[in-house]
Amino acid sequence: MRYILFAVFVALTFSSCEDIIELDLDNGKNQLVVDGFLNNESSIQTIRLTSSAPYFSNVATPSENFASVRLIGPNNLTYNFISNGNGNYEYNPNTLGAIDSIGFNYKLEIDYKGSAYTSTSLLNPVPVIDSMPYAFEPAGFGTEEGYYAQFYARDFGGRKDFYWIKPFRNGKPVYDDPTFMILSEDATFGGEAGDGLVFIEPLRAIITDQDNPFVLGDTSSVELHSLNSSAYQFLDQLVNSSGNDGLFAVPLSNIRSNIFDAAGNPQDEVLGLFSLSAISKFEVIIQ
Amino acid sequence: MKKLNILLISVLLSLISAAQEKFTIRGYVTMTESGEELIGATVAVKSLGTGVSANVYGFYSLTLPKGTYEVSYSFIGYTDKVKTVELSYNQKIDMELSESVYEINEVVIEAEGAEQNVKSIEMSVNKIDAKDIKKIPALLGEADVIKSVLLLPGVSTVGEGSTGFNVRGGGIDQNLVLLDEAPVYNSSHLFGFFSVFNPDAVKNVKLLKGGIAPEYGGRLSSILDVRMKEGNSKKFTGTGGLGVIFSRLALEGPINNKTSFIVAGRRSYADVLAKPFLNEDLRGSKFYFYDLTAKINHRINENNRIFLSGYFGRDVFGSGFVFNWGNATATARWNHIFNEKLFMNVTTFYSDYDYSFGLEDSDPDDDFKWSSSIVSGSIKPDFTYYLNNKNTIKFGGQIIYYDFKPAEASFASNGQISSLSLPGKYGNESGFYAQNEQKIGARLSVLYGARVSHFRYEGDREQEYFEGEAGLRKVLKSETLNESTFHQVNIWGWIPSYRNYKSETNYTNFEPRLAINYSLNETSSLKGSFNRMTQYLHLISNTVASTPVDLWLPTTNNIKPQIADQVAVGYFKNFKQNKYETSLEVYYKDFQNQIDYIDNADIFFNTQLEGDLLTGDGRAYGLELYVKKNQGKLTGWISYTISKTERQVNGINRDEWYPTRFDRAHNLSVVSSYELTDKWNFSANFVYSSGTPATFPTNRYEIQGVVLPHNDKDARNNYRIPDYHRLDISATLTPKKNKDRKFNGEWVFSVYNVYNRRNPFSIFFEQDDAEPRVTNAVRFSVIGNFVPAVSYNFNF
Repeated sequence: MRYILFAVFVALTFSSCEDIIELDLDNGKNQLVVDGFLNNESSIQTIRLTSSAPYFSNVATPSENFASVRLIGPNNLTYNFISNGNGNYEYNPNTLGAIDSIGFNYKLEIDYKGSAYTSTSLLNPVPVIDSMPYAFEPAGFGTEEGYYAQFYARDFGGRKDFYWIKPFRNGKPVYDDPTFMILSEDATFGGEAGDGLVFIEPLRAIITDQDNPFVLGDTSSVELHSLNSSAYQFLDQLVNSSGNDGLFAVPLSNIRSNIFDAAGNPQDEVLGLFSLSAISKFEVIIQ
Repeated sequence: MKKLNILLISVLLSLISAAQEKFTIRGYVTMTESGEELIGATVAVKSLGTGVSANVYGFYSLTLPKGTYEVSYSFIGYTDKVKTVELSYNQKIDMELSESVYEINEVVIEAEGAEQNVKSIEMSVNKIDAKDIKKIPALLGEADVIKSVLLLPGVSTVGEGSTGFNVRGGGIDQNLVLLDEAPVYNSSHLFGFFSVFNPDAVKNVKLLKGGIAPEYGGRLSSILDVRMKEGNSKKFTGTGGLGVIFSRLALEGPINNKTSFIVAGRRSYADVLAKPFLNEDLRGSKFYFYDLTAKINHRINENNRIFLSGYFGRDVFGSGFVFNWGNATATARWNHIFNEKLFMNVTTFYSDYDYSFGLEDSDPDDDFKWSSSIVSGSIKPDFTYYLNNKNTIKFGGQIIYYDFKPAEASFASNGQISSLSLPGKYGNESGFYAQNEQKIGARLSVLYGARVSHFRYEGDREQEYFEGEAGLRKVLKSETLNESTFHQVNIWGWIPSYRNYKSETNYTNFEPRLAINYSLNETSSLKGSFNRMTQYLHLISNTVASTPVDLWLPTTNNIKPQIADQVAVGYFKNFKQNKYETSLEVYYKDFQNQIDYIDNADIFFNTQLEGDLLTGDGRAYGLELYVKKNQGKLTGWISYTISKTERQVNGINRDEWYPTRFDRAHNLSVVSSYELTDKWNFSANFVYSSGTPATFPTNRYEIQGVVLPHNDKDARNNYRIPDYHRLDISATLTPKKNKDRKFNGEWVFSVYNVYNRRNPFSIFFEQDDAEPRVTNAVRFSVIGNFVPAVSYNFNF
């Protein structure tokens, strides 16, 4: 909400300004970071392990290659993730099958420098995308001329769902900014009013970039990823903490990891997130 | 114990001592020019060394032994008058004082009036006249009540352009902002750049920061008492102005010899002016705000008077997606004089703050609407009993009903409509108080008393209980009625509720108050005070500056009442026949049940909001210096505060104390105005304050291509942003008056932020647009350059 307010504020502000400045910051301890987003597809599944670094280090953070990573599925089936030496630990679903038991709580186990860490993640279902109509629209109020696509899907009623909507144009993300993640709670932005609805109009339409709509011949596609509550909370805070500026910023705070110690208790050694998604997809060619 | 008994007996004796035959003079003190009451005017008998102040309605009552007295009437900026009174019966004496002109001051020495700050029992109090507010150079030339308050000692803010103000370590919701006794829940226009009070309709402003008398309650840190003009009772006049932001017009005058009125309105016209310059994209956008203030007062007879006043204002912003918010207040008051010693005022008010937003011109099949409000109504009788010239007793009470509608939302998606409301919450706040201001001997005066306050939370659904670890989202444990709370014998049960409710929670608090003034000599005094304040309303806001969509919520079974205890002592001294007022005060304040928020709290639309709240303690202490020059060609003040404000909340900053976002160690304001000639008046103010705390990261890590900041010690407010300082100047040109002309105009030229400093509001961190692995620290300045403005004011 504060972003919308801030946008309004900026629109009429007379002289506010932003300058990049030099700042000396204390360096804290470097910690193991888990970037573990898995899905139910049969493509190679990757968990990335890195280390945190001083805030202004300004290069890729170092990879961590000497951990042991495995996933425990239904019937104690163990999927081993093999390090490829650049921080990525990979599992090929051609061997033991896809990670696709909807409703199952998968368990991640990581052994790192003599300590064991665990995390569990519930694989939630995802609704099908029914259609993706598109139409030509002339330039309008803050919008450019071009083809505007929308996607139609209906949230599951009677339960709390969380989604990550990923739009693509010719296979590339529509929005370059990695912090521009489109998250939804049920079929809307938050609260309980969106349960069981068709995704609301602003979400349906967000798959088209208003500054750069589709042109003839483009492929417009969208992926809908189911999230569980802890992944949604993490990503929501991630989105909020980037672009957290201006009058209506909230205090900078650490994002709580869902990686626990071996006994399943919170710990403050390892950062990051383990998340499982089911994906539904749809694509159209603008013609 | 013996000592205490003796003290009690002497107090009682002094209360009932009536050996001599005594009579009372009473009446109103008003301005000659407009008939406006002079709040706080001094009525004194020098030969006895005794006196009283006129109350907020200009009424005074003074009881003296039979005799002949020289009674002097005085008020700062007004010429004193002395009246010889042969007191052998009760008399009514109304007195009019004329505004003094500076030239006269150069030769005539004012006797009294300005001594108020030394002699009165009040401490930690600052008063500003509307006249002075208009002299202060202001952003875009718009004189502003709240921005003037920021220049007083003990007052700070999170930064330029933010809503509200912070008093002695209190949050912005801990100020009871009263407009003619009705609370104003959001005092801002345009997110905080301007306040809702129209300076043309304001008579004076009083900020109480400590030593708060029992007659006030409901907020922890301050009372900002804004009084509107009554309206000129002598002749019809108008004032107005054309500025960069607003155009203003106020009209006032008598309706008949018993009734007068004032109506004042303002509207911003940036949108009107900007329209031709906006490109097509923005032409449909709306941004404007307006307010209307009106008051009428009627003297029924010598002993009865009624006042009706109201405020209505809105802000509207947006394009396509439109926000709309504002306050409405209405106050009705009745002054009744039972006899020469007993004065009564009954106030009833209605106050509402609401906001809504949603899609404009939307398709009903795909729509979004949202609204939220807080509505309150109250009745408040107050009595003043002027027992004798040594004791002034006040007692009274107040009942306030609150109706909170945290959110009512409706969505339509693809033709399907879904609406959802957060359950309504209701509150019933009541308070009763009694106090006596007593003079003991020639040097000592004491104000003692207490307020008993009570709050009954009334919920639309059953009570909810949350449990969980500090710092994490708490989960709903049970939703059952707490039997013990519900059935407990409650002496406050007699206060009726106007509705049915499913659950209730009761809190009662005893709030002792004490203030002492020990006069060292004619020009100096020592003062001390203690007050306990309780607050049952909470503004839920986790952003740096409060937004217009922040919610007010009542105390519930989960949210406890906020409590603050404050001790303050001060030394007050006037120099050169009261030309200079000075004071030095130190205070210590202890806060309980302060609200904070879990990381990533969802305060906006959360049916289980209380699970996202944390509570903790606070402490604040500081020293305030104040020097004010009241008379002469050069007037103004210097205020300096050194202070510290901290909170301790389990779940934040590893459970250790941390400074609040508005903690500023040093805070200096220099406010000056120089009357060069009849034609030219110059003003300047300079402010300096230490940078506010901020939370900075130590480390970075990457998730899905996003570089995230991380603080390995989980610290809060571990750094300071750079200091804030700013100089503003203005010049007022009053062209040579044509004495026969009724219409007078003046031009005000002002420059805000003269030396063009980019004062930081905050420093934030972000990924570079071009090179995502590079992270930048960005300094955000709300006003990054100097802002010149011209406005034209007139009166007739």
